[in-house]
Amino acid sequence: MTDTAMPSPLDPGTSGDGAKAPHPPGQVAMVFDLNKCMGCQTCSVACKVLWTREVGEEHQWWMSVNTQPGLGTPKGWEQMGGGWTEGAPAPGHQPSRAEFGGGWEFNYDEVFYGGKGRSVHLAPRDTGDGTTRWGMNWDEDQGGGEYPNAYYFYLPRLCNHCTHPVCVTACPSGAMYKRAEDGAVLRDEEVCQGARFCMEACPYKKIYFNYARNVAQHCILCFPRLEVGVAPTCARQCPGRLAFVGMLSDTDGPIHKLVEEWGVALPLHPEYGTGPNIFYVPPLAPYRLNEDMSIDEETPRIPPEYLESLFGPKVHSALATMRSELERVRSGGTSEILDTLIVYRWPDLFGPFTTDPASLDRTPEKVAVELTEGSPQRG
Amino acid sequence: MQGGSEVDIVEATGDMLDPAAAAWTTVPVETVRLAPVPLEAQPNAYIRAAWAGRPYGRVSEVRVATVRSGDSLLVRLEWERSGDPPGEFADAAAVFFPAAGGTAPPITIGTHAEPVTLWAWRDRLEVQAALPQAKELIATGPGTFRPRGASAGDTAGSGQTSERPGSVAAASRCEQGRWNVVVQGDLGPASKSGRMGIVVWDGSNDERAGIGAVSPDWLALSSS
Ligand code: SF4
Ligand code: SF4
Repeated sequence: MTDTAMPSPLDPGTSGDGAKAPHPPGQVAMVFDLNKCMGCQTCSVACKVLWTREVGEEHQWWMSVNTQPGLGTPKGWEQMGGGWTEGAPAPGHQPSRAEFGGGWEFNYDEVFYGGKGRSVHLAPRDTGDGTTRWGMNWDEDQGGGEYPNAYYFYLPRLCNHCTHPVCVTACPSGAMYKRAEDGAVLRDEEVCQGARFCMEACPYKKIYFNYARNVAQHCILCFPRLEVGVAPTCARQCPGRLAFVGMLSDTDGPIHKLVEEWGVALPLHPEYGTGPNIFYVPPLAPYRLNEDMSIDEETPRIPPEYLESLFGPKVHSALATMRSELERVRSGGTSEILDTLIVYRWPDLFGPFTTDPASLDRTPEKVAVELTEGSPQRG
Repeated sequence: MQGGSEVDIVEATGDMLDPAAAAWTTVPVETVRLAPVPLEAQPNAYIRAAWAGRPYGRVSEVRVATVRSGDSLLVRLEWERSGDPPGEFADAAAVFFPAAGGTAPPITIGTHAEPVTLWAWRDRLEVQAALPQAKELIATGPGTFRPRGASAGDTAGSGQTSERPGSVAAASRCEQGRWNVVVQGDLGPASKSGRMGIVVWDGSNDERAGIGAVSPDWLALSSS
């Protein structure tokens, strides 16, 4: 995505039009309820369609959903370093194109039109550079455990728009910045020189490289949508109604309650030290089955230590809270936590960002004026 | 000047953007020693941590020749290429000139107070066929490079850039393990400062930004 109207990294926080901003300045955060995610990848595709359809962006999935347990994408990202260790940035590995995989071309012509539909499988064309050996929602789709206690869950991942973004620290050219009005971590692509230290430093490995344009790219928190009160596309398109968007500081909003008040939404790998602003309600799992197929009510099927390795030690109290809320409702009581997570009204997911994008004036004439004169929302 | 490094700008004979142009054989050549840009000068704690104890600045010397052609200065750089296979980063080189006088040495490739104008060339990796190989940048430190016209220093600008395409050109050849690169730009700023620095990046060693080899002292530019 090229956006020459992006605000200057040297002048953060002044690009929004205060009079029109849909919320007071602060951190926009998201909560994903992993108990409801069905791994349909609608969020990934919505993001792909909106932001990464140009040359050089083929392999980029700013929103990606990995199956857990598994090596994820890029392959083995949790072992690639980066983040903060005792207040200092830790060296990290720059994921290669092969480790990300994806961006494939398929043999459609051969299978669909070449008369080989019965003898040749549909498959990515091997480009010889290793990029077809791994990919999001492909080989990474693993899971854990053994029958009858196999388990898996889905983990939607995007840039965490961190409070201490080590990617910004690592950028030598000053192209990256965290802006004040919504906490989005952004990059001025006109300033980026393609040095890719951000990719090494980000411990979540959610920065991609556009080889065709020699710039790094990552999730922009749909900031042009936020500026006009529209929720990010991953959240809005999710059929599971599980992605909350809102201001972290809004004490009446579901995000603040889930994260700060009830402690049931947690950051991924808090030990990386970057202070993520994307949070997850960890997955409760069915109980284990004994060999005689009776239910072992004492043992969750997803090993708690595995969840702790993802979400830190607070995962145990988060799960305990969820279980006791479930128990209360099963016994005829009510639960504000569960009511919040059920999301009876779809717009309740989106905090101040409930505007329907279809209601905006997006005529080609209006867009052309914005492109030449700058969006009024961006100042 | 270190080792009396001085390059004589002679009059060009014909089109000399091609490093293989026969006319280059008659131009005086100066061998310039390069040194790694110091780790402590790197612009942030991440880069200093990532490169502590890792050798860089592997290109230790470069042969330099310069010619004047009308309003243009052409600089030919020649160095031995690393034998390692290319990885994520391309080999690259640049010459630079003080943007507005000043006396700071070139070792940090500009400072906030004394920026330098960079004429940068980079090889293209296979996937980058459409990328320009030459561009003009303003540098205020090792790796703190911005397209000319992008907001820099204390000037909080609009973020709009006004890169002047075509103001810097480059051509390159790699033969028998040696890079031959010619970069061409406006003679004005170069001859006004009378000084030139050189930086070379070994892409196979992941060198880029401030991780590279630089001329520790300015080369004096003289006109014959
Ligand atoms: S997730 Fe990575 S890219 Fe995003 S803000 Fe955090 S460190 Fe930066
Ligand atoms: S769209 Fe929603 S349910 Fe589907 S994968 Fe994404 S987060 Fe999960």
